[in-house]
Amino acid sequence: MRTNRGAIWVSVIALFLGFAAVTQVHSQDVFSRSLNLETPSSLTTLIANLSETNNELRNEIFDVRRDVADAQDSVSSGKGTLTEAERQVAQLRVFSAQSAVAGPGIAVRIEGQFDERALSDLVNELRNAGAEAIAVNDMRVGPKSFFTGTADHSIAVDGRPLRGPWMVRAIGSPDVVYVAMTRTGGIIGQFELIYRTTRFAVTKETALDLPAQLVASR
Amino acid sequence: MTASPAPQKRRLSHSLVLLVPAVLFGLLVTLQWRTQAERSELSVRYNAPLIDAANALQNEQNDLKTQLAELRRRLDEIQRNASSQSGAARELQTRLDQLKASAGLTPESGDGVIVQLDDARNVSVSARDVDKSICHATDLTDIINTAWKGGAQAIAVNDERVVNSSSVYCVGSTIMVNGTLMSPPFNIAAIGPQNSMLGAFDDPNQLQDIKQRRDVQGLGFRVSRASAVHVPAYSGALNVRFAEPH
Repeated sequence: MRTNRGAIWVSVIALFLGFAAVTQVHSQDVFSRSLNLETPSSLTTLIANLSETNNELRNEIFDVRRDVADAQDSVSSGKGTLTEAERQVAQLRVFSAQSAVAGPGIAVRIEGQFDERALSDLVNELRNAGAEAIAVNDMRVGPKSFFTGTADHSIAVDGRPLRGPWMVRAIGSPDVVYVAMTRTGGIIGQFELIYRTTRFAVTKETALDLPAQLVASR
Repeated sequence: MTASPAPQKRRLSHSLVLLVPAVLFGLLVTLQWRTQAERSELSVRYNAPLIDAANALQNEQNDLKTQLAELRRRLDEIQRNASSQSGAARELQTRLDQLKASAGLTPESGDGVIVQLDDARNVSVSARDVDKSICHATDLTDIINTAWKGGAQAIAVNDERVVNSSSVYCVGSTIMVNGTLMSPPFNIAAIGPQNSMLGAFDDPNQLQDIKQRRDVQGLGFRVSRASAVHVPAYSGALNVRFAEPH
């Protein structure tokens, strides 16, 4: 009788241990991010993003390979590499917000309550959609730009307060950036639910003119 | 104690014999229960090929980045050799070097801070709070914003340099920085004035949400002073297709 009772207790404890072991493995699964946990729809989006990045890399490799060939030709013909270097300087000045730029894109007009974190998220979303140059009102956003709140509930970019209504302009493919902002479940849709009294107007623009960043680089 | 040690030992060994099958049984019951609970949610059919495709693309991306870095290095070498020929060329080369550095195309090292961000581990969190116990893309953008505010000169997230085109993107529970797949823990390395950056992170008005989730849900968030912080060069594309300088 005693033996049986002991065995029952051991079994109960063992059952519990078995349960605990599996639950432990399971709860670690919940917190360890791996692709295994993604839905097919998320995986498809990830794959589209990876493909896009890889295509951009392939284009850039093609361009730089041409630059290398051009530079070699220039050197061997005794011309020096000034032309290639000038082209690179122009590209890097645009890339790092040090020159004023023109081009097509979109504009987002924000009228009403808004804050610095939402503006930072909007800029992140625009960059993610491939925006090449971004300005808030008349301030160009640069590589080290930061967004803060001001005492009077306004927004400051790089420490300079900007009053609403805010106009966020971004140069890039108008169609791609427009769709990325306004798609169902996109950032503008989310903003409209969170800032219910604020008006958001997104428009495609054929010609935008953005200034260079004020403080070139700190 | 009247019982002799012998039967007690036998009882114990009986119990031990039962222990192994009982644990196995417990495992099986629980596994079965779990499988039944989750089978319907998982889209088993499509996941394996999609995961393979994603991994293959990420590997391809790493190769492409290596190729691009090598081509950039060769171009730089040719230009550097040629620039010794004339004063104008030397001046242009200096200008190019400065621009590359400010655009994030050169590696940097120096004193700074390291911010570690991680999902809550080994903490039992209710299902309702799971969302608060894991890292989100917005946590990374908030941390990067705070580092720039504190005067950072160069920032990298898990060795991906943060440049003007950088974005943090979240799909499902996977995060991408510069179009590269990442998973927690995240190491945000920032080079710059240490006291000013630590001050920005300590400011109670900054990162309130992250700090609260660290205290309540056990989110991993730690800021530390670090010397000889290394931040690699940006290895991605410099897409300038629509913007024309003027």
